[in-house]
This record gives sequence, structure tokens and C-alpha cells, in this order.
Amino acid sequence: MEAVLVLVLCFAFLLAIHAPIAVAIGLSTFFALLTVGTIPASIVVAQRMATGIDSFSLLAIPFFILSGQLMGRGGMAMRLIDFAAALVGRFRGGLGYVNVLTCMLFGSISGSAAAAVSSVGGFMIPEMNRKGYDKNFNVAVTTTAATTGLMIPPSNIMIVYALASGGVSIAAMFLAGVLPGIVFGLALMIVSGFVSAKRGYGAGEPASVSQVIKSFGRAILSLMLIVIVLGGILGGVFTATEAAAISVVYALFLGMAVYREIGWGDLPDILLQSGITTGIVFLLIGTSSAMSWILAYENVPQRASASLLSFSDNPIIVLLIINAILLAVGVFMDMTPAVLIFTPIFLPVATALGMHPVHFGMVMIANLCIGLCTPPVGTCLFVGCGVGKTTIAEATGALIPFFGAMLLALAATAFLPELSLWLPRLSGLID
Amino acid sequence: MTGAQRFRGQLVRILEYSVMAVMAALVIDVVWQVFTRYVIGRQSSWTEELATMLLMWGALLGAAVGFARNAHLGVDYLVNKLDSTSRRIVALYVHLATALFGSVMIWGGWKVVSGTLATNQISPALGLKMGYVYLAVPISGLFVLLFAAEAFREDWAREPKDL
Repeated sequence: MEAVLVLVLCFAFLLAIHAPIAVAIGLSTFFALLTVGTIPASIVVAQRMATGIDSFSLLAIPFFILSGQLMGRGGMAMRLIDFAAALVGRFRGGLGYVNVLTCMLFGSISGSAAAAVSSVGGFMIPEMNRKGYDKNFNVAVTTTAATTGLMIPPSNIMIVYALASGGVSIAAMFLAGVLPGIVFGLALMIVSGFVSAKRGYGAGEPASVSQVIKSFGRAILSLMLIVIVLGGILGGVFTATEAAAISVVYALFLGMAVYREIGWGDLPDILLQSGITTGIVFLLIGTSSAMSWILAYENVPQRASASLLSFSDNPIIVLLIINAILLAVGVFMDMTPAVLIFTPIFLPVATALGMHPVHFGMVMIANLCIGLCTPPVGTCLFVGCGVGKTTIAEATGALIPFFGAMLLALAATAFLPELSLWLPRLSGLID
Repeated sequence: MTGAQRFRGQLVRILEYSVMAVMAALVIDVVWQVFTRYVIGRQSSWTEELATMLLMWGALLGAAVGFARNAHLGVDYLVNKLDSTSRRIVALYVHLATALFGSVMIWGGWKVVSGTLATNQISPALGLKMGYVYLAVPISGLFVLLFAAEAFREDWAREPKDL
């Protein structure tokens, strides 16, 4: 048990002094292994890092990163904004709805919540400021809405969960995310509409049917990426990895030949940026799999489930506790390591209570999405405050109603299993 | 520019070109896999294996570039509350921690490589020695160590007020 204590203290210390998270995970694991004494510590860390990365299904991640980069540079944000504006911009506080809807679509296609904040927010926040919306409100809408894109497929974090859970299908996870993602989006739209009405924000700008059709026509090619990936995987045409590679080719074709916003000269930088992002994510994957090895060696999953189940055998109470822990984890930890480290600990408890692994994955990801908008590690919040030229302290007040909405949507995801399980079941991906 | 900085700059460039090449090769490889299955009718036997090897090298070299560019995620919440003198000291500790992490990757990674080479484990389709695939870990660790040492030297030489 000392090893676990060393692990936690060392990790907390390294995190506090602003060490890269992957270094904090890797080194704290190394010291924990040294504490055990009988294990060749550096070999285990290196071995786990290598085997953690060595997987064909994880290969979908660099491809989705690359296609997200390509789509992000190729003028997709404006097309999606125009489409969303024609669709939902007609109501009072319309720009709030447009922002949420665009972030959902952009986050889904680009696979990055931070990219959604900077690309969509980069245009929408100044635009909303100009139309008289409060800037902190605008940052709050964008930041929270961007995380919903991680629930709507394709989504890298679901691939990571599928790996960590050992046997959940990526396709089932992708489909499971659709409805909870929409519920999160709707909850945020309702709050946005409510606040806008109360403060008398901008009147809507009606769009004619022909404008809706025209903007849809311009956005459809971007939206097709979701269709190609999901359709390809569900139809059994490609594996998730192949679908991701095909999405790169599609995004390349779209950006270079159709939209003509990417030239040959842009490609080296796009490849490099994607390679670096891939490296960052995979270093987290590699070190996290080392950390989860030492946790398993120290029987932490068994101890955690024993103590949770001895506390209560009421599924609702246990689920509430797990949710509370995951919310706290999300506040301090980045999503990828959190999924890799806490899935082996909590999934056995959840399945012991009769929860489906796919459902549990959605609950976990929804929890961690909320963490992306909270300090001190809320990547989305930092990007949002940067784009919106405000500070976290100032934005916090405006964020509170949106947190409320996300917590309600989380409760719906946690306590209505069918929200996650209905679509995968309908497609025959799970029993 | 000092010699060390020039050397570091060239090293980073080489790493960056390698990362670009690996990423491009990855895409071509998996697209080729789909192409052979649907157009030629018989899936190529080596593409999947090559892809995981490319991923290993691409990801670990990409991670090394991430260290050179200071792109890895961290929590700066507490550090931002410090004055510049303490911030410099904390930064030096972080470079030390990163250097130690790099050393773990080198030492442990080298043991894994030599252990795997000794068993003569060979990849089924391409016939490559698996030890060379895992070589990405110590090599990446070497770059992590170098970049951390260089960052340490720079922050050490810097006056506290410059931070």
C-alpha cells in the first residue's frame, strides 16, 4: 500500500509544479515501482509504454487528429456557423443557439474540444460581443458546448475507453454517444436561451427556407465526414482505424480540391502538428498504462470495489459516489489518462451492479467532459478565456448555470441507461 | 546563437521531418490496406503490422518534438501564483524531473530492446526483429533527456527577472 501512497503524493507534487502530465504519470509510477522493491522499475515503465502504444485500434487516433486538422484549416467553421445560423438563429438569443450547435458539429468532426473553442469561438465570441451579448456569457457557452463534440462520434476518447475497458466495441461506443451528446447540447441551449431572454439579448435573425437549404448545401460536404465514418464502420465496410484513414483522404480531398483552402505547401505543417498532438496523446496513453499496471499490481481495483460495495449495495448510491469521484478526477486530470487509469478501477464495480460497460463509458466520458471546463486543468476553459479575452475568475459566474445544465444532462446519462444503449442495441452492436 | 543552440535546432528539424514522413507513411499504409481489400480483392498481409510499427515511432518521436516545443500539457495554476524567483526554481525542478523521466525511458527501454533482441522475436508478416520496433522508446528518451538538459541550462543561466 505504501507504493500507492508514493504514487499519489509524487503525482500530486509533480502536477503542482507544472511538470508535463505524462512526466508526472511516468515518474510517479517509476517511484511507486521502486517502493515495491522487487520489480525492475524502469523496465516495467518502458515495457508498459511500448505495449500500451502498440495497438492497431489506437491507430484511429492519429488519423482522426489529422483529419480534424485538415478540416479545421479548410474553412469548415464558417460553413457550419452559416448552416447553424440559418437553422436556429431565428430565435431570441439566436447566436447562443448557433454557437452551441456549431460547437457540437465542429467538435464531432474535428474531434478536439479545444479546436472547437478556438475555431468556432474565435469567430462567434467577437460576433456575439458585437451584438451586445456579455463576453463572459459567450465564453461560457462556447467552452461548455465544445465538450459535447467529444460525445458525438467520431471521438478519440471513446477509442481510448474501448481499449481500457478491454473488449467494448468502438462502433458501439460511437453510437452510444449520439443521444447523450444531443441531450448535453439541448441542455446548454435551454440555459443559453433562458439567460438570453432574461437579459434581453439579441433578437433572432430569421432565415428563409432557401437560405437554410443553401447553407446546408455548403455545409453538407463537411458533415458527410461523420456519415462516412459512422456508415463505414456500422456497415462493416471498414474497421474504425480504416474509417479514420479514409476520413483523412476525404478531408484532404475536401480541403485541397473542393474548398481549395489547403495547398501542398500547408501539408508538411499539418502533418507535423498532427504528429506532435499524436505524440502528446500517446505519451499519456503509454505512461497511463504503466500507472494502471502498478495499480493492478497493488490490487487497487479490487480494494476500491470492495470498499465502494461495502459502503452501500444500492446501485444508485454507488453510481452517485462514482460520479462524484469522476467529477473530482476530471477537475484535476486530463481526459485520456483519467479514462485509462480509472476505467480498470470503476468498471468492475459498475458491471457488478449490473451496468452495461458501454453505458458506464458514456457516464465516465460525460463526467470528464465537465472537468474540461473547470480550473485548474480545464483545457477548454483556458482556451475559451484566451479567445474571449477574459479571465477564469470573471467567467466563473457566467459558467455556473451551464454547469447546472451539464450536471442535469449527466444525471440523465447516468440514470437513463437507454439513452446510451438504445442506438447501439438497435444496430445490433450489443445485446 | 551558441553552438549548443544550433545543434539543438538542427536536431529538432531532423526529428520534425521524421515525424512528418512517418505520419504521411501511416496514412498511405492504411489507405493501401483498404485499397487492396476492396480493389485488388485480397488484403495485404503486412500493412497492419507496418502501421503499428510506424505508430510506435511516429508517436514517440512526436512526443520528443513536443518536449522541444514545450507543447505537453501541464497544470500551471499554482505556478502562476509564484513570484519569478520561485518560478525559476520550480522550473528547474521540472526540467530535472523530465530528464529523469527521459533516463527511465532510455535505461528501461534499452533493457526491453536488448531483452527482445535476445529472444529473437520476429514480426510475423514483415520478418522484422521486434527489438527494433521497441527501440523507439530509448531513442525518444534520449531526445527527452537532451531537451530537458538544454532547457535546464537555459533557465539556469537566465536572470530571475527575465521569467
